[in-house]
Amino acid sequence: MFERLAKLALAAGLAVHAASAFAQSAQEIVAAADKVRNAQQPFRSTLTLTEYVRGEERSKSVFVLFSKEDPSGHFRNLLQYVEPPRDAGKRVLLDGQSFWFFDPASQASVRISAQQRLVGQAAIGDVLTVNLAVDYSATIAGIEAIDDAARQKRTCWHLEMKAATDTAVYSRVEYWVEQGTFRPVKGKFYSDSGRLLKIIYYRAFAERLGAVRPAEAVILDAVDSSLATIATFGESRFQDVPDAWFQRDYLPRLQIR
Amino acid sequence: MRLAAFALATLAFAGAASADDENKDLELIPRAPPQAAHVAPAPSPIFTGNERVYVENALAFTSLRDDLLVPFPPPLPPRWEDRLFADARLQWPLGSTAFVAYSGRLNVVAQEDLGFPNRGNVTHDLREIYASVEPHPRDYLDAGRINLKSGVALGFNPTDFFKARAVVDPLTADPSVLREDRLGTLMVRAQHVGERVSITAAYAPRVTDPAPLAADPYRGFSPLFGLTNADERWLVKASAQLGEGVNPEVLAYRENGRWKLGANLAQSVGKSTVAYLEWSGGRRLGIADEALAFGREIGAIPPSAPAAITQGGEERFMSQVAVGASYTTETKITFNLEYHYNEAGFSRADWERWFAAGEGRPDSSPIAQELWFVRGYASDRQEPLQRHSVFLRADWVDFLVPKLELTGFVLADAQDGSTFMQVEADYARTDFWSFGFLAGGTTGGRRSNFGSLPREASVLFTARRYF
Repeated sequence: MFERLAKLALAAGLAVHAASAFAQSAQEIVAAADKVRNAQQPFRSTLTLTEYVRGEERSKSVFVLFSKEDPSGHFRNLLQYVEPPRDAGKRVLLDGQSFWFFDPASQASVRISAQQRLVGQAAIGDVLTVNLAVDYSATIAGIEAIDDAARQKRTCWHLEMKAATDTAVYSRVEYWVEQGTFRPVKGKFYSDSGRLLKIIYYRAFAERLGAVRPAEAVILDAVDSSLATIATFGESRFQDVPDAWFQRDYLPRLQIR
Repeated sequence: MRLAAFALATLAFAGAASADDENKDLELIPRAPPQAAHVAPAPSPIFTGNERVYVENALAFTSLRDDLLVPFPPPLPPRWEDRLFADARLQWPLGSTAFVAYSGRLNVVAQEDLGFPNRGNVTHDLREIYASVEPHPRDYLDAGRINLKSGVALGFNPTDFFKARAVVDPLTADPSVLREDRLGTLMVRAQHVGERVSITAAYAPRVTDPAPLAADPYRGFSPLFGLTNADERWLVKASAQLGEGVNPEVLAYRENGRWKLGANLAQSVGKSTVAYLEWSGGRRLGIADEALAFGREIGAIPPSAPAAITQGGEERFMSQVAVGASYTTETKITFNLEYHYNEAGFSRADWERWFAAGEGRPDSSPIAQELWFVRGYASDRQEPLQRHSVFLRADWVDFLVPKLELTGFVLADAQDGSTFMQVEADYARTDFWSFGFLAGGTTGGRRSNFGSLPREASVLFTARRYF
């Protein structure tokens, strides 16, 4: 009897140990994939969003993005619309829990919520630099061979992620990261109500900002399957981004040169 | 170790079955080839990303009430109007730390009773023209006509001190549009933007006498400094980043020898809500007494004419408040609900006095003219005439189809329940063309705030081409 109990205790201990090892390694996997997606030094990048409706190109937006990682691991992002002409000059500041939208036509800065950054002209929350490992707690759901966006088989960790901070845009994320390279392959993003909102494929890995990173993200709208957006990082370079740039009062002062 | 290996193997096996399902998503990827090899288009050497140029035609029809309790003095608002205008916001760099900016609109207007051709058909609204230099990093000095705005609320901004008299011939009463289409003030402005604190100081000189309430339809290319620079004004404001996204702003403003203080704060509450509060206060008269004093100053009301209405005529400290919240749903609708308070505005007793003084008088009566002057004065200063009001706005992005935005708002007088409401649809057909439709109207009894206005309903059709 005692021997049985001892074996059960040992098995339980092993299970707990294995689970905690998984949890730890899952977080490390997400962090490693974050490092593949994002540069750790401050940088400036051009970003093009091409929107498709039923496979046909519908519109194109071009932004200049300034990004900087803060000591807590969160990215501070400041971006300006360059195209289309309707939106040129509009700016968005995403800094921790502080989100502001500035319209040069009204010269007004409006505070927006984490949810609002996903709609309308602030709908850039998906493609901005975010460190998922900071905002989500991850566990390994399995190891799977899935096709990437180019239909190449990739052996991936399938990670299950739950929002761990108020700044997390989505409530739940499923994330596939290629074993060995730590390249993100795919993500599925869910709302608070459990509704699948978006599917993102990362592709076109190329040298950018000192490492091989995905230059494109294909964003599929899971609510309306006729809609898709391709986000393409263009010219990128390391650039000092002063902390003062992430003040709401700096928004009207930003000059793209 | 075996247990861990077993767990991994189990997970891998389970994963193989679901991986096939995952690959179905690939069918949804647009057939466009990867674009990473293409370099994103560089901004044009002329345009720095801050410019916007468009041409718009706006055709409006208005229906008027013919049973007003207090008759509206002529001329009545036009029942139709077509406005074709070119709107530009441009910037020219002067080296790496300076630029000159222009923002304005050239209008060609045809409307009921205006006639054509005459010099009232062509007007130019000079919103901004100023030079800006950055002598040290994030220290700025600007001079010229500048639109200086403050505030965090949507329907009414008590701390937006330079809004008074700045809106000329608005196409819509949507507050977000009114902020867009207004004249700046001739001023000198200095600003420092630090890592956690930002400080702004502005001085606007008096350069001319005050202009009448209604913008002169024959103003042509006049800069209308009589609207924006008829008083000497000062503003000092500071905002600070206090951590956890807390970013309050405090303001001190001086006009006509009187100080006003103000503060505003917007704060995220959870993932979908932003709550905000805006307050300003200072010594002043009630709005009716202030309007009559202004009317006498500009000669619109004879000095000897008795006051048709008064709120006591005493100057004292009065406050204005806007408090509210925005909430965004998963279905891309953002709601703003606000309460507005204007202590200088009309109480229920003031409204009763206003109707009693004007009821049954002919529209040519000096009393009726005085009473409507008070209402025009409040509108000109973008200040609620009612003391308590509730504002609800909804904005639905991608309504029914992508790029169709539906916006609607209701502004209700909380004392009599009358409302001013408006719904607007704007469809961005392409990156360069957009089309809009707007319908608005006022509701309420004849003896209510909004139900006593001459405009009953209006519709507006717009077509806009960006360049």
